Amino acid sequence: MFLRTKNIKVSPIKQMELLAARIPDVVSLAQGVPSFDTPEIIKKASIKALKRGVVAKYSLTPGLPELRETIEQKLAEEEMYYDFEKEIIVTAGSIEAITASLIALINNKKNQVILFSPSYASYPEAVKVAGGQPVFVNLIESKNWQIDFKQLVRKVNSRTAAILLCNPNNPTGTFFPKEDLLKIAELAHRKKFVIISDEVYKDFVYEDSILKTSDVQNINDDFGASDVQRLNFFSLAQIPELRKIVIRVFSLSKAYAMTGWRIGFLHSDEENAKEILKIHDSLVTCAPVISQYAAISALDFSDKEVEEFRQEYQRRRDLICRHLDELSDFFSYQKPNSSYFVFPKILKTKSSWKFALNLLEKAHVAVVPGVAFGPSGESHVRMSFGRRKEDINGAMERIKKFLIK
Amino acid sequence: MHEVAKKIIQFILKWCSKIYLWRTKAHTIVIAGTTGRHWIKETVVEELEEKGFSARANTKNFNAEIGLPLSILDLPSGEGNLFRWLKTLWQAVKKVLVTRHQAAGEYLVLEMAIDRPDNMKYLLSIVKPKTAVFTTVTMIYRENFENLDGIFLEYKKLIKSLPWNGLAILNFDDERIRNLAQFSHSRVITYGFDEGADFRVRNFKKVADGQQLKFQINHPKKILEVKINRFGNHHIYAALVKEIIKENYRMPTADFFSQMYADSQKLTPLIPRK
Repeated sequence: MFLRTKNIKVSPIKQMELLAARIPDVVSLAQGVPSFDTPEIIKKASIKALKRGVVAKYSLTPGLPELRETIEQKLAEEEMYYDFEKEIIVTAGSIEAITASLIALINNKKNQVILFSPSYASYPEAVKVAGGQPVFVNLIESKNWQIDFKQLVRKVNSRTAAILLCNPNNPTGTFFPKEDLLKIAELAHRKKFVIISDEVYKDFVYEDSILKTSDVQNINDDFGASDVQRLNFFSLAQIPELRKIVIRVFSLSKAYAMTGWRIGFLHSDEENAKEILKIHDSLVTCAPVISQYAAISALDFSDKEVEEFRQEYQRRRDLICRHLDELSDFFSYQKPNSSYFVFPKILKTKSSWKFALNLLEKAHVAVVPGVAFGPSGESHVRMSFGRRKEDINGAMERIKKFLIK
Repeated sequence: MHEVAKKIIQFILKWCSKIYLWRTKAHTIVIAGTTGRHWIKETVVEELEEKGFSARANTKNFNAEIGLPLSILDLPSGEGNLFRWLKTLWQAVKKVLVTRHQAAGEYLVLEMAIDRPDNMKYLLSIVKPKTAVFTTVTMIYRENFENLDGIFLEYKKLIKSLPWNGLAILNFDDERIRNLAQFSHSRVITYGFDEGADFRVRNFKKVADGQQLKFQINHPKKILEVKINRFGNHHIYAALVKEIIKENYRMPTADFFSQMYADSQKLTPLIPRK
């Protein structure tokens, strides 16, 4: 009866959370949820909107014009120029933006979507929901999880509808250098497919992630830490000539600690946006209006909080890495330079599911098995350092006891 | 924040900004309308700076009862924290007492947002603009108004407040905005796509990295071509307003020379002093 959903699975991250909920006293490093609450100023703005009585009705399908105008202003600060009236759509989080884009793009002739492995666990299911077929291309762990271009070129064909990339990448905590992104763009231009760039972690790029010394030399002393990040982190949506082949997705969930508000947006050339809007309308009519008002305040007034989150995540990243260094007989890992995930390799067991289940049952620590993020994620686990320091310390102490028994 | 505290803050900020404007004789340009204010504000500031004026605009969306005085005084919001507000109010008072000629000749480009009837009357009790740019009257930001005519009546108050030697810049494509012309005591210049606009877009096309537009100026008749790296009609409107500012704002002779004197202090003398 449910033929379409037969091959679609609930995200292994959620599965792990469900299993963990049954065991008392579990410390979870599984779900990628920030430990922070939504900043006060955002909550106040939504209460104000609620009291004004403006949140009970649908907004326009692409979103409140004042929010889209704010998004356009925010994008312009990052050198991305999009028309709020025709090229920006406010969505119910980034996964709705991604799914709506995929449904709009996938057809009988072009039904394959390239995904990097490892990458975000919900992507393959979103592709299947849209009636497409996920095609995996490996990231090379020894090269700090950069793209295997030989494999990418081999896997692209006339059926390729899109490449869906998470940048910075979940679960590896790394971001793609500009040169690699430009290579993907060139390939997309030649082979006529679209790039969906999911950049929900772009605000969490750490200060020690500058890639080249030449970059460093060019940075004027007047720049602050966040400017240094911007100089390093690059989005294809910054190149106007590529706007027809790039759909950029952003969510407020992570940057502004708003996962429960379900609010994000996408932007692309109007030709793409008008097609995606049809799907967005069919799926959700509009993003939750109260969250849209909250988003205006977030984008306008919460830069300071985002920067505080970033600095705290960097401290937590260093903390979890120190713990992992003490477990070098059991794990090897690439130090993440962005997002709030680390993706260590398990040295003594092959099956990441078995390892994660064992850890949950015996040590009462929840992590996500690496295989959830694609075939090459096997033998790894994803640990989130979005959790509080106490949780990180507690979980890592339990892991140490479990492994060194 | 408690309503009483809000009223007190609003009162102090209002009077501080009024005194500041009186002392500095700042020239104010106001951008009003339901959409596209931000982009016009940006291009107006850009044009004024290109002409050598010292120009400043609202930060973020500081454009209503409390935000507007904060923008005038160039101060941050207390954001619901009483101690931060006290600090802001102290800075406001200090600014009013200390500021003398260093801010004189300043151009303030201010967005004005209204969300309920009589809002404009309050804002105009703080600012007396010399120039006002009007964008649109649309459904989308209706807020507490019964209908669009309610918003129109607010803008009527603004255009009527302009001095005889002021300038009203009106969006010709918006019928309500166009009709404001009849209430103006000052000079009126219109812009838009429709035939009859003083600064009119003749044709435009989207290119890979922006928009190319050709527009006609009626008095004196000339045709200009411009390319902008932004997308959307609101940027075309902003480009037109920029051109109007370019044509109509010239630095007064006194200001020109005082700027020259100020700049000359930074120059190295040709013959070094012994």
